[in-house]
Amino acid sequence: MRLFLALVIPSLLWDSGPETAPVLKQQEITAIAVPTSRAAAWQRVPGISLTVVDPLQLTRVLTPSLADPPANESAATRRPWVNSNGWRFLRNPQGNYLYEAPGVASALAAAESFTFGVPALIHTDDKGLAALGRMLTLLRTVDAPRNPSLANIGFVDDGTEPSAEFMNLLVRKNLLFQVFKTPDPKMALNVIPGSADYPQSEAGRPSLLAERVRDNLNDEKRLLRIFGSDNVIGRLEGTAGVARLYLINYGGAKRPIHGLRVRVLGRFSHQAVIADTEKLRLFDIREFDAATEFTIPELTMFAVIDLSR
Amino acid sequence: MNRRQFCNLAALSPLIKPPSGLPTYTIATRFKPAQSPGSPGRWRGKVIKVYSDVCIDTSSNRVNAVVVREMLSAGIQKLTGTSDDRAAWAQFISKEDVVGIKVNCSGAPKIHSSPELVGAIITNLIALGVPASNIYIYERFEDQMRVVNFPRFVPSGVKIVAAEAINGSGGTILGYDPETYVEVNFFGEDDTRSNLTRIVSERLTKIINVPNMKEHQAAGVTGCLKNIAYGNFSNVARSHQNEKTNTYSFIGTLASVEPVPSRTVLHVMDGLRGVWHGGPFLRDPKFLFFPKQIMLGTDPVAMDRLLIDIIEEKRKSEGAPSIFDRSTDQLKSRGRLDTHFNAFIREPGHVEYASHLGLGEYDIRRIQQEVVKL
Repeated sequence: MRLFLALVIPSLLWDSGPETAPVLKQQEITAIAVPTSRAAAWQRVPGISLTVVDPLQLTRVLTPSLADPPANESAATRRPWVNSNGWRFLRNPQGNYLYEAPGVASALAAAESFTFGVPALIHTDDKGLAALGRMLTLLRTVDAPRNPSLANIGFVDDGTEPSAEFMNLLVRKNLLFQVFKTPDPKMALNVIPGSADYPQSEAGRPSLLAERVRDNLNDEKRLLRIFGSDNVIGRLEGTAGVARLYLINYGGAKRPIHGLRVRVLGRFSHQAVIADTEKLRLFDIREFDAATEFTIPELTMFAVIDLSR
Repeated sequence: MNRRQFCNLAALSPLIKPPSGLPTYTIATRFKPAQSPGSPGRWRGKVIKVYSDVCIDTSSNRVNAVVVREMLSAGIQKLTGTSDDRAAWAQFISKEDVVGIKVNCSGAPKIHSSPELVGAIITNLIALGVPASNIYIYERFEDQMRVVNFPRFVPSGVKIVAAEAINGSGGTILGYDPETYVEVNFFGEDDTRSNLTRIVSERLTKIINVPNMKEHQAAGVTGCLKNIAYGNFSNVARSHQNEKTNTYSFIGTLASVEPVPSRTVLHVMDGLRGVWHGGPFLRDPKFLFFPKQIMLGTDPVAMDRLLIDIIEEKRKSEGAPSIFDRSTDQLKSRGRLDTHFNAFIREPGHVEYASHLGLGEYDIRRIQQEVVKL
């Protein structure tokens, strides 16, 4: 398990001049990254902390989103496709990432990078500023030294593209894993691409492989299960007696989720929620021998649920 | 309640051990079967058919509400062996009950439970002393219900409710009971639970099931069983993928989850109209037909067994293949308007399967069918 001791609030990459500082402050954005060409001008602006970056040195990632399959084309599934960068962040959490996230996608980008513990940079447009500002304000309320991420699947990453897609499907299915170079005996299940269970001949069928991982682990042992939507990705962090659950609805405000049932492995009597939906309270909370279940009445884009015994 | 208690409670309901090749179902419910479950009930294997040639005007597709009331009266009296409506209805419902009428609006606005029939049922409930405010007309999807205009046909105070607003993405699980569900993994879907509507588990004490007479592209027919199964539980469309459908075992499994069979005390199948191909929707007016009847009983299996014959006979007369045809030659995902094609291998065997779960009588030799002609 890896400790994320650093704070991981993402930042705005802003290429406008210092005359826009009031706009940023209005959105409560007080830390930005700027390209080298803007650095000198911004250094004289009070109240805005500055990081200077070379955007060309950053790894560009997908704009997080939900995409419907084309209406008039055949597709493997009619379910919306979640464009997530989770696998990429898990493969290389030390990377320097840049989102191109116009509009409200800026907020989703911030939630995603925060959830996966990566302080990414987010480049957005004027329309995205307000959404990003609101999300950053929310993230600051929950930002704290992070507990270890919780996973019981070890993924032995060979660094290949097929493994990337394999991991992507595991993220999408909320099969919580950590990336290793060699199998970790502490994991309930180790996934080794190219092994008998996940042969090279099936590398082009990542969905099938991910389903096999699920079968090999079995649903009862899954750390996290989500019922009621295919559009939500969750991550867990925790240590003895406490767990923090991050939930991202990739449909965002356009497709809010009215009712989500969550099952977390482990017994937790106390719950607290922070979310971009006001006055959110969990209900139908049930503790079982090995798991806790609860219902979230609404999930707009992002929620953090703290669980403790 | 801890997991063990929950499982113990769950174990009180039928735990389905399917034959090999069928999915493995886990039932979670806190409800025990009633001492005298409503279905298959007191009249297992008994079905009353009431015909009237004038119950519907086939040219205008307009229902004669007066005749429908008479049909209902004749049917309920025949079923119960009484000569008085009030006495007949009192065998199922008391004035203290909170009654849900499970309608079928999946094919609305073209085919659905007739509001004239639903209205006639409610008239009898009110005559028994059930307050209008304790009568619910319910369905899963509000958008389908809204177009039927039930309020025009029922007394004010009757509640018309749905578990979720729309059929499709954007629905909600909030209208469903998180503790009463069937868990099964059909095709690797992540959401493996189908939960019972809250109104059934939390509010209703009795249910009257009012399905239609329809062929169904996946299930073969959709009558009593499917209406209390797929019509009462969430997340059921996942049971079909490509040509494969799990309706064979899923319908009966859902219908057997307590408290559904215990609380469903009467089935009144609306056969004023029917659909003989492309169901549950009416995709083309040519697939509409007029059986001009209602069926009554407490045994959903026996009633659906007779429905199979009705649909088969109609399809035969139209030159369409049997619903039992399992040949892959007939598969065509976009062939819904051609009676020789279907999107799925149909599973009319779901009716017989349900009989093995104790839901009723499938053997035609043991079904006592009585016909009333008005």
